[in-house]
Amino acid sequence: MAISRRAFGLGLLAAAAAGTGGYLTLKDRPEFRGYLGNKAHLFGFIGGEKQAFLADPDVVHALGGYGLELDARVAGSVEMVRESALLSQKPQFLWPSSSIMVDLARKSGVPVRNDQVVLNSPIVVYTWGPVVEGLKKSGLVTVAAKGGYNQLDLKALLDAILAGKNWSDLGIDELYGRARIVSTDPNRSNSGFMFSGLVLSLMSGDVATQELLAQHGDQAKAIFRGMGLKSSSSGKLFDQYIAGGLGAEPMVVGYENQLVEWALADPARWQRVQAGAGAKPEILYPRPTVYSAHPLIVIDPSVDRLLEALTSPKLQELAWSKHGFRGPLGTVTGGADAAIAGVRPAEIEAVLPMPSADVMLSLLAQLEG
Amino acid sequence: MPKTLTSVLLLAFAVLLAACNSSHVKFSIVSGSENTVLEPIVQEFCAKQGATCTVSYKGSLDIGLGLQKPGGLDQDAVWPASSVWVDLFDTGRKVRNLTSIAQMPVILGVRKSKAAELGWVGKPVFMKDILAAVKDGKLKFLMTSATQSNSGASAYLAMLSSALGGKEVIEPGDLDNPSVRDTVGTLLQGVERSSGSSGWLADLYVDSAGKGTVYDAMWNYEATLKETNDKLKQMGKEPLYAIYPADGVAVGDSPLGFIDHGRGADVEKFFTDLLAYLQSDAVRKRIADTGRRLPLGGAAIQATAEPDWNFDPGKLVTSIRMPEPAVIRKALDLYQEALRKPSLTALCFDFSGSMQDQGEKQLQAAAQFLFTPEKASEVLVQWTPSDRIFVLPFDAVVRDTFEASGDAAGQGELLADVAQQRAGGGTDMYACADQALQKIVATANLSKYLPAIVIMTDGRTDGGSDLFLAHWRGAAVRVPVFGVTFGDADKSQLDSLAKATSARVFDGSGDLAGAFRAARGYN
Repeated sequence: MAISRRAFGLGLLAAAAAGTGGYLTLKDRPEFRGYLGNKAHLFGFIGGEKQAFLADPDVVHALGGYGLELDARVAGSVEMVRESALLSQKPQFLWPSSSIMVDLARKSGVPVRNDQVVLNSPIVVYTWGPVVEGLKKSGLVTVAAKGGYNQLDLKALLDAILAGKNWSDLGIDELYGRARIVSTDPNRSNSGFMFSGLVLSLMSGDVATQELLAQHGDQAKAIFRGMGLKSSSSGKLFDQYIAGGLGAEPMVVGYENQLVEWALADPARWQRVQAGAGAKPEILYPRPTVYSAHPLIVIDPSVDRLLEALTSPKLQELAWSKHGFRGPLGTVTGGADAAIAGVRPAEIEAVLPMPSADVMLSLLAQLEG
Repeated sequence: MPKTLTSVLLLAFAVLLAACNSSHVKFSIVSGSENTVLEPIVQEFCAKQGATCTVSYKGSLDIGLGLQKPGGLDQDAVWPASSVWVDLFDTGRKVRNLTSIAQMPVILGVRKSKAAELGWVGKPVFMKDILAAVKDGKLKFLMTSATQSNSGASAYLAMLSSALGGKEVIEPGDLDNPSVRDTVGTLLQGVERSSGSSGWLADLYVDSAGKGTVYDAMWNYEATLKETNDKLKQMGKEPLYAIYPADGVAVGDSPLGFIDHGRGADVEKFFTDLLAYLQSDAVRKRIADTGRRLPLGGAAIQATAEPDWNFDPGKLVTSIRMPEPAVIRKALDLYQEALRKPSLTALCFDFSGSMQDQGEKQLQAAAQFLFTPEKASEVLVQWTPSDRIFVLPFDAVVRDTFEASGDAAGQGELLADVAQQRAGGGTDMYACADQALQKIVATANLSKYLPAIVIMTDGRTDGGSDLFLAHWRGAAVRVPVFGVTFGDADKSQLDSLAKATSARVFDGSGDLAGAFRAARGYN
């Protein structure tokens, strides 16, 4: 094919004009800034439950649009705000899984420039079909009028456990022995930490204070002592739940988004489980529950742009639809993958605030002793 | 394009492809013996990847103890029977990506006619029923050492849990409760043979059945019982009937985890690829075929139930809750020091001329290890006051017989007695074995003990085994004869003696503590 010099020249000109116009347009759109070069590399620590979200190619691409590239290393939420071995590495941001960690970070002398809750995930109870059926019979599980999800009367369950009730007393004849619920180690992992705050508040009848801790701490301690060997990470406990099944792990505490991520990681497997004859994994929403908030702690000014990116509709939607994280106020952005339609309600009623940082630290010390 | 060029290019392409396929990775795994049956599946993958894989087998607690050592383990991956031992011992968090491959409940297999006689066929059986059968002298069983192997530890913890009367979990104070100690101590009186390895115990059952000695029962993994029964059926022998204690069993989660030795990204990639392979549908099916449980795998990949021996991998079993790490440690010490069946051990020390210098030194070091409680308890093989120990130094004849109980004073005396021995003279290990057997058989209340003879030698011996084996066959109890070898030992005679008496030979010249820990796990 032949092309005349003149036509070629005109073509170049047109392309250049389009390019310039494009550049002017893009410059004002933060989400495209990254395509013009100069990517910022940001280093910080994140809770392990957000690892899959940040490794998602769609998320990496969207952050790339903002000119951001993350070196996000996994650390425990408590340790990332307290351990000098981690803080001395000069992280530019911290992304723990609980708002209390912001206070703890300040207490450890971290120069917090800004902090904002970016994602939320309620603490839920993972269990199996036969347990849900039984608990419905005994009235511990009811269907929420709004949203139609299964809500668990956690206080009643904890009372039954403390009273030494058997599974059969709770309407579950498939399982032998004492009823039990298991979380991660509150001193090492955030989901166990959040659950301990919730347990203490439920035992106290109100959001726990130092006075209520003095009165009801022993009950909370008894619940955790009854768990025996506790896992050090939420991810590990969820894996044990899935691998162990109904007989080994009848009820474990986790984050709402964990089952969503597991289902979406292999949709064919999820379909098979749903269609199969065996006991199926189920989510129970404690009533009330607590939100595990994921505050981004900004230390370096360059992280401001990350905050902007993570709160943008695009990333909020990816967080919900692909990884099951809710937005800053527990609300959801966009739809969800068809594979997991109906797994989670859009809205959760009855959310309790966590006890304050000093109460939680006293509780942790008691649970360790 | 000329034909030759095409073929050269094709050849180059093929070579390139082959190079891409063969990773040349060298990968080592240390695994519980129950996974021996899965090794071909792993090796198939290794061959496909062009990698060289080595799998060594150790008790799960030994894998744990290895992780606890400052240097850790040399292997690239661990595959114990349960993640509990990694949680408990891997304090340095060396193991990453620990992922469950299968679920393996530890249950009791009872010879079918025995199970019928006990009225256990087609009925839920509780630990208290097992206790009653042991108490009445109607049931004895094989069980691995709780301080060495996961299946033994699992059975033991299930016994403890049950003795607590259905408490949700074992707590520290529970272990001081006299009635709990009494119940579990009585249950452990049912142990007829022990070992450091679940796989070996299953082989012992099958071999003994072949030789006409039929044991009543065995605690082992559901899947290992399936393997055992497949072999027994082929031999035309009676299968073991599966008893799933209704008050809860311990379930091993058979996890595979990576240890990063900084050997490069290709080694870690090989591990993640291996994990993905083991989790692929086709391979999961093959794993399930061995009798392992794969929850959420669905009925499609589950092994077929075999009602003739009550095997049903789809049957829901309630698992006991594992206690806190400190409680598990305390429970293991309690097992070793108080609750396990006492051992009656005759130790033959070879002080013949060929043991001079090196062999003699190793022998004295062995005595130091064996009779110094602090050293032995580090690896959970300490003696207890209720144990009985005979020490027989020998050359062409048995020089002397020393005897003590397993308390600290008794051990001190034995250590002093051994220290006075010097190497010299001829060798006859059979003479020593024979005298050791006589001492054991003459012991009062013999049924209260787990008897064993351990011969420590370089293996070069005169004399023949015929007379000893004739006495051995005539004895009222089956006493296994173990060997621990020193120097550049000739193992052949020791091996055949061990084989004839359903025992094993361990190499003491390298890792002495390891060899003794292994040998002691068998009584």
